[in-house]
Amino acid sequence: MLEASGLTKRFGNTVALAGFDLTAGAGEIVGLVGHNGAGKTTFARVLVGLVIPDSGAALLDGINVTRFCSPARPMIGLAPQELALYPTATARENLLLFAGLYGIPRRRARRRVGELADALLLTDVLNRRVRELSGGQQRRLQTATAMVHEPPLLLLDEPTVGADPITRDALLAVVRKAADEGAAVVYTTHYLPELEVLDATLAVANGGRVIARGNRAELLSRVPGRAIIEFDRPPGRLQGSGSGSEQMQVDGHRLTITAPNPAASVAPLLTRNPEATAHLQTIELHPPTLDDLYRDLVSA
Amino acid sequence: MRAISGVRLAAELRHQSVLIARDPGPLIGYTLMAVLLATATRPLYAALHQLTSRQAASGTDQACAGMAVMFSLFALKVAAAHVLNERTWHTWDRLRSSPAGFSEILAGKALPIFAAIALQQAVLFGFAALAFGLHPHAGWGILAICALAWSGCVLLLGIGASTLARSPGQLSAAGDIFALLTTILAGALAPVALLPGWLHRLAPVSPGYWALKAYNAALTASPAALARPLAMLALFGLAGIGLAAVIAARARLRSWISRQDLLPSGRPAQ
Repeated sequence: MLEASGLTKRFGNTVALAGFDLTAGAGEIVGLVGHNGAGKTTFARVLVGLVIPDSGAALLDGINVTRFCSPARPMIGLAPQELALYPTATARENLLLFAGLYGIPRRRARRRVGELADALLLTDVLNRRVRELSGGQQRRLQTATAMVHEPPLLLLDEPTVGADPITRDALLAVVRKAADEGAAVVYTTHYLPELEVLDATLAVANGGRVIARGNRAELLSRVPGRAIIEFDRPPGRLQGSGSGSEQMQVDGHRLTITAPNPAASVAPLLTRNPEATAHLQTIELHPPTLDDLYRDLVSA
Repeated sequence: MRAISGVRLAAELRHQSVLIARDPGPLIGYTLMAVLLATATRPLYAALHQLTSRQAASGTDQACAGMAVMFSLFALKVAAAHVLNERTWHTWDRLRSSPAGFSEILAGKALPIFAAIALQQAVLFGFAALAFGLHPHAGWGILAICALAWSGCVLLLGIGASTLARSPGQLSAAGDIFALLTTILAGALAPVALLPGWLHRLAPVSPGYWALKAYNAALTASPAALARPLAMLALFGLAGIGLAAVIAARARLRSWISRQDLLPSGRPAQ
């Protein structure tokens, strides 16, 4: 579906893209994470032809969008990071405009607007002007404008900013459904737990390129997690689990084990240290999270 | 160039009409002001006409033509504001990233604004016909051609102005100054013959000057006198849209130049 390789773009002395590679297959949700300035927004703008890259190519179903953006545009639904809606028009009017821009006849567009509004909990506000909507409602409406023509590629840039947990769940369900129906989704976010809900694969961008790409489990396995064991007295000198892969740190009554799979280290360690185990109080397992992975990759 | 799609154009026309209808204040205000000022200044224009031509006149022709020119120029700000809003609302990029082509987007935005400016003039002349018995010497059809030509010119100048302005405040201030200067040079407030010499010489650089000439030809002379003013209005309109096109092209050119700078050999990227 989407195959971007070696995209570069400079704005004066600023390098926005420095060899940006990303692929997304039909039905796949790619969670694109990275701090501001990592190149995520420029990448999206390249795909819709708003920015011409200095080099590299992006193929969408075989069409090089960096050279021929016109035939590719109907295939892309873009919800940019900054709100881009008509504040004096109603939510319905905004949606009907974007449906029309993508060539959807009026009657079909009305039906599609109704479906999307239902799914994104916007039905009650369809006839209200955008400037009267809350930030979260505007954000969902923006996502709806990107989805109204059911594009095979969705580019959603932080769609859940300002959303409460209920509307966030609704939005994530709509995105998941679009992917289940075959759309490729590039989903940019700073809320990494959303990517677990979406069952997304992961791409971490930094400095204008993707520095890590893969499924979450595979990438998480590269990052250590922690187990915290509390004793009712200082545990004294301890023997390791024997695997040699963990680091141990004792701080008063607390032992912190840092290891790729901390749960696997706990049992052997306790077995090898029966004296300390007799004074065991609690065990807390902290497997690596996407936040840990992100921090690890970006700081590296 | 992409083919114009009926569905897309209809959606854009409908949407732009909604945007104008949601914020009709400026256009209604300028129309009412034109009607009121035309009513109030009729006696003044009658007196001026007698002074300059030593013939009696009602002053309606001059007052209506002058106010049509002046308040259409203020409506230019409305046209420019609608284009500028697309930038401040960040919707311009959304439109550009859609399958709609530039000409289609422009047509979708411009036609309803054009209709609104033309309607403003129709209300003014319609009021003058009903209240003061205005009857164009060259016929209503010719007057309508003048009004449409001037509306088109104002619209295209407005699109050009919107590409220069960086903020609504800047647009408003520059628009007011431009409208007033153009109105003065047009002879819409006082006949050009009565202006100071240096302003008199500058008058033909004002699109309003040619608009007033066109209106005067339609109201008091014959269609033959219309050709040159209409041609001049077309030129001013082309200058407005040309300015917009140049500024739009400049961004692409800048991008192209930066692309060449990156390549050590100077060859275009493959």
